[in-house]
Amino acid sequence: MIVDILIDGLIKGSVYALLAIGFSLVLGVARIVNIAHTALYMTSAYLIYVGTKMMGLPTIVSMVAAVFLTILLGLLIYNYFIRPIQEHEAAMLISTIAVAMMLQEVFLMIFGGHYLGVNPLVRGYLTVLGVRVTNQHLLALGLAIIVLISTRFFLMKTRTGLAIRATAQDREVANLMGMNVNGVAMITMAVSVGLASIAGAIVVPLVTVEPTMWMHPLVMMLAIVVLGGLGSLEGSFVGAYILGFSESLVVFMVPMGSFLKDSVALSIMILVLLIRPEGLFGVSFEEER
Amino acid sequence: MKSSKTVLLLMVGLALSWGLGLTAAVAKPIKIGILGPMSFTQGEGHWNGATMAAEEINATGGITVGDEKRLIELVKVDTNEFLSIPDATNAMEMAVSRHKVDFLMGGFRTEAVLVMQDIAMESKTIFIGCGAAHPKLCTRVMDDYDTYKYWFRLTPINSSFLGKVDFILLGTAGAIIKQQLGIEKVKVAIVAEKAAWADPIVAAAEKTIPEKMGMEVVGVWRPSPVATDCSAELAAIQRAGAQIVFTTFSSSVGLTFAKQMGELKIPAAPVGINVEAQKSGFWEATNGAGNYVLTINTYAPVKITDKTIPFYNKYKELYKEAPNYTAGTHDAIQILAQAIKNAGTIKADNVVTELEKIEFIAASGKVKFDKSHDVTWGPDYVTALGTQWQDGEMKCVWPYGWEGVTYEGSVPFKLPPWMVEYWKK
Amino acid sequence: MRIVVAYTRRMLKILRSEVLVLPSRVAVLVFVIAILALPLVTQDYYILRIMILTSIFAILAASWDLLSGFTGQMNFGHALFFGVSAYVTALLNLNLGFPPYFSIPLGAMGAVLTGLIVGIPCLRLKGSYLALTTLAFPIILMGIVFAIPGITGGELGLSGLTKLTGSRVNDYYVTSILMLVLGGIMWKITDSNTGIILHAIREDEVAARAAGINTTRYKLLAFCLSGFFAGIAGGLYAHFMRLAGPSTLEIGLSFQVIIWSVFGGMVSIYGPIAGVYILNPFMEVLRVILDNFPSLPEMRMFIFAALVLLTLRFMPEGLIPWLRDKVETECPRCKVRNVAFRRSCRICNAAMT
Repeated sequence: MIVDILIDGLIKGSVYALLAIGFSLVLGVARIVNIAHTALYMTSAYLIYVGTKMMGLPTIVSMVAAVFLTILLGLLIYNYFIRPIQEHEAAMLISTIAVAMMLQEVFLMIFGGHYLGVNPLVRGYLTVLGVRVTNQHLLALGLAIIVLISTRFFLMKTRTGLAIRATAQDREVANLMGMNVNGVAMITMAVSVGLASIAGAIVVPLVTVEPTMWMHPLVMMLAIVVLGGLGSLEGSFVGAYILGFSESLVVFMVPMGSFLKDSVALSIMILVLLIRPEGLFGVSFEEER
Repeated sequence: MKSSKTVLLLMVGLALSWGLGLTAAVAKPIKIGILGPMSFTQGEGHWNGATMAAEEINATGGITVGDEKRLIELVKVDTNEFLSIPDATNAMEMAVSRHKVDFLMGGFRTEAVLVMQDIAMESKTIFIGCGAAHPKLCTRVMDDYDTYKYWFRLTPINSSFLGKVDFILLGTAGAIIKQQLGIEKVKVAIVAEKAAWADPIVAAAEKTIPEKMGMEVVGVWRPSPVATDCSAELAAIQRAGAQIVFTTFSSSVGLTFAKQMGELKIPAAPVGINVEAQKSGFWEATNGAGNYVLTINTYAPVKITDKTIPFYNKYKELYKEAPNYTAGTHDAIQILAQAIKNAGTIKADNVVTELEKIEFIAASGKVKFDKSHDVTWGPDYVTALGTQWQDGEMKCVWPYGWEGVTYEGSVPFKLPPWMVEYWKK
Repeated sequence: MRIVVAYTRRMLKILRSEVLVLPSRVAVLVFVIAILALPLVTQDYYILRIMILTSIFAILAASWDLLSGFTGQMNFGHALFFGVSAYVTALLNLNLGFPPYFSIPLGAMGAVLTGLIVGIPCLRLKGSYLALTTLAFPIILMGIVFAIPGITGGELGLSGLTKLTGSRVNDYYVTSILMLVLGGIMWKITDSNTGIILHAIREDEVAARAAGINTTRYKLLAFCLSGFFAGIAGGLYAHFMRLAGPSTLEIGLSFQVIIWSVFGGMVSIYGPIAGVYILNPFMEVLRVILDNFPSLPEMRMFIFAALVLLTLRFMPEGLIPWLRDKVETECPRCKVRNVAFRRSCRICNAAMT
């Protein structure tokens, strides 16, 4: 039983982590609550579907293509609809919601509300300590860890990473120091969308592709990011596992109540915030006036 | 240039529809409003079934009303009920008060259908439900006959009958497991989406399975109807050593569950209700992992009545997918046409009386409405079917000798080979 | 008789010197008259239904603005108040047989209580933390709704409530007049001392506290007030639709409220109301237009989202403030608003530049 909970929670957590890290990044640097993040993840899923099932391309090729196309789309949206109004927080927020809705409706128009499936990169399952786990889930676990490590490396060891962190800390001063703040935001956006679409490529074979598939991960992702502390990558990572474990705990301990797993996960988030209003790893940002 | 023309056209269209267009339309054809979420599979089923029936009837000159023949005109009412209930009621109101439809059929999400039912009853328009299974829709007829008598339900059979069929399927599968694998006490895991319609089935299952069916219940799991991951439930089910997973799903979770179950090759047979598995797209959507899933169904290419196979094949040819129960609008229009013919008028009250009397051989079986205006279930009437996915094809596996009923074209139920391998040591 | 004449004269004078001089005030006047006179023009059930729902949602959007716009407490889960009140109203009506004029206020009190329960943990949270936490509450409640189907009816919700009033026209007047009155009250609140304090909290909470204001108490007050008005909307909805179901708690509704408000223009009360009165009927006009082209796929939501996106791209403050700034300017000296084409201020005669 404990083994089941551990393994299942680990797997779930890694899937959530993949999603949350990208969101957290762009929130930390560009201060954008990007509601469309999971809609872009959905976009990558649909593009992979088009590539593999409709055009007959090999899975890996369509995945790479989907990731690039999604990044391109994300940057276009950012450049033309988000950046011009970044001074207006509320308007920016609604714009990302509108983008998410538009993507949903576009897919609804093209593919209808049909439930579609995407081929997994790897098939089959392994038995880990008596628990069956699909290889795709294991891949997600591995990738989540690789992505976190490489994102961390990118942020800590490269010049661009330094610029991103500096902008995250204080946008105004970074600007005064002669940094191209917009350029940095652009790069961050690209990385973030890239992470979303990679998450799409990895996670999508595990779930059902349909036009409202962005809603549930969105809620969980927001909860994770808040739980971990806004803009903190470690926080998102840890938050993802906390919620992952809490979900599987609910399913195993109270099978009759497995529908409550979202509610329980969100309640945990609220409890944590009651004790630490800035989240687990959050640093209170300086008040921006 | 072109765009300005389009704008002009749009404006004219707007003016027409708001002004005279809709209300001044000719009253000659019989207008039937088809309600459904048109962007989704369910609504497509509603619309396709209705279109097919309307074309068939119009090809013969239309519905006989008294001594004249009147054509059918379908009005597509997109209720968008999955995303917004107010939208559904607005669309309904438009159909009733602007398009002035004579009859209504369709509907899917019970929460929306309850409100739409009220609107239809207020305007005394006959509404034949093809989609929502909750008994409450029909108990309303019993409670307040004068208000709700315009409501009838054709598909699916109501959820308490669904429960009955469910247990028969379970018993059948249990017997086969006992016989083929030599297991004395078959273990059953109950998995039902957390929804009110599933509650009575779960309660009954917990009682009936150990007491009357001689099987053992190893646990009850209630995932959310829209859960996107069931791996935890599946791990727990496998740990519990179940041979049968008794499913009750109407939403997307059915697909997720079946897919993950197949991918993990859980050594158990999924039996029960899984609406997703009734759709042709199921095989594609699960990448074939949904093999051997058994579900209750309404239509399959077997000879329920003489009409079933022609209907099924024609539908499949026209729309490239198998009809599921929302395509019951096809039967509904035929039944309605018969009732109108018998009544000799399209006055709602007279047609209601005729519908109450009618016994009609439809594609889903012999239709007779009971006292609560619900479709009658039973060996001689509509039985519903059990269909199983067998290597990419949806096969009818029940009724197979039940109460002397076997529909031509049915095949025996198959256990997943990995399950046989696992348990046959 | 002379009193009547005197009052009429005074009214006319106010009308001429205070209302007719500013396009925005004329617009409000025309709007009120149009709302009240609509049933004289048409009694079409379909149009009335849309306008009833529109006025209910207008109350909801304005109540969101009261909390999130004025106090800056970004609420992402406004559907919570709406849903709680709808359920409470439905339960009182169905189980205890309370008539609408009794059950709706009590439902709203239920929403006030929810405002307190939610408000207390949220007091310590700021900005995005608050926004994202409030998003969680309706989802948690949804879990509870599904957990006790015996009381809440699970996914079916509670149906068969008493009709709001007997007829559609009466329903229309009840909801529309309530919308006008409650909108007026909310506007007055924001204009009062309390409103100014709320505004101060939004701009700089630390400074407000330094000025001796108990910000905690005022923030809670904002939660409760907003909950009350949203609750009235929820109760009206439940009685009008004769249903309180889980759809009243969906994330989609919470998002919709924010979209209406920001589109119309936050921090104004009238902006969100206008937003709803523009967008909601617009969706139905689209339905009627697209109805003539049955071969087109369903694209109303797409057009809606695109319209919102484009509007905000060019008018990030919202539609109504943008329009208002086009037709009115502020006097540089006495800060009174004037029609844009005036050369000198209508009050102090200062030159307008």
